[in-house]
Amino acid sequence: MFEAFTDVNHSFFGLLNQGPLTLTIFLHTVIVLPMFWIYFQEKKRLQNKR
Amino acid sequence: MAEKKVSVWSDNRFWQRSATWVTGFASLLLIWLTFDTMGQITMGNQKDINNHITKRVPSATVINYKVEYKMNQRRGHEVPVIGGDDGKGDSLFKVKENFFGRDNYSQKEADALLHLGKLASQAKNCMDCHTLLGNGAYYAPDLTKAWLDPAWQKGGTMQAMTGKSTKEEAMAEFLQNPGKYPTHARMMPNLGITQKEAVGLVAFLKHMATIDTNGFPRGFGKIKEGVVYARSK
Repeated sequence: MFEAFTDVNHSFFGLLNQGPLTLTIFLHTVIVLPMFWIYFQEKKRLQNKR
Repeated sequence: MAEKKVSVWSDNRFWQRSATWVTGFASLLLIWLTFDTMGQITMGNQKDINNHITKRVPSATVINYKVEYKMNQRRGHEVPVIGGDDGKGDSLFKVKENFFGRDNYSQKEADALLHLGKLASQAKNCMDCHTLLGNGAYYAPDLTKAWLDPAWQKGGTMQAMTGKSTKEEAMAEFLQNPGKYPTHARMMPNLGITQKEAVGLVAFLKHMATIDTNGFPRGFGKIKEGVVYARSK
C-alpha cells in the first residue's frame, strides 16, 4: 500500500499523490470530517435552545 | 427525556460554519501549495551541477553537458540523465557535449541564450501547434523531450535531411527553413526564425529536455524513429 517516495523533490503533496485519487481522497476526508463535528455541535446547540 | 427533534440541515449557522471551514481550509491549502510549488520549480544553477545536486529544473548551463533519457528502475519511468550516468540511473554531471562548437557556456551566457529561446518560442507561438511541458496543442509533435528524439541524433533522419552533423545544427537549420524539409503531412510553416533565435530555441529545447517531468510524456523513450514512426504505428 505504501511505496517509497522516489520523486526528485520531496513534498508532502507528492507523497500523497502517489496512487490514483489518493491526494483527492485525503483532502476530501480532511475537509469533510470536521463538518461532522460542526453538525453535531450545532445539533446539540439547537436541542439545548429553548 | 426524549431527544428534542431539530433540523440541523435547515439551520443557517451550520451552513455558515461549514462554509467558513471549507473556504478557510482551501485558502490555507492554496497558500501552502504555492510555496510547495516554488520549491519544485525553482531553477538550479551551476553550483548545483558542481555539487551533483539534481534539481527538477536544472541550471541553464546543462547545455554544456550530454543529456540522455534513461529508464530509472527505482522511479519506474524514464528520467533525464545529465552529464553521464552514475550507474544507479542518476546524473553524474561530468560528461560534456559541444553545443554549437562549445561546451563552456558561462551561467550568464547560458541564461541569456535560454531567455532568448523562451522569448522566441513565445513570439513565434510554438504552443499554437506544439506541446511544451504539457501546455499547448497536439497538432504538431510534443516538444517537451524533442532534444532526445532519435530523429535528430547521429544517423537520424533529420541530420541526414538537413545535411548537418550535430543535433543542434540540424535543429537550428530546420527551424530556419522548415518548409524545405518534408517531415510530416502537416508541415511546419516558415516563421521567419533568425539564426540567432534558432540557436536560442535549440538551447531552450535542450534545457527543457533536462527538466524532470516525472516521466511525462509517457513512453517517449520507446519511440524508435521519432514522430513519423510513432504516428504510422
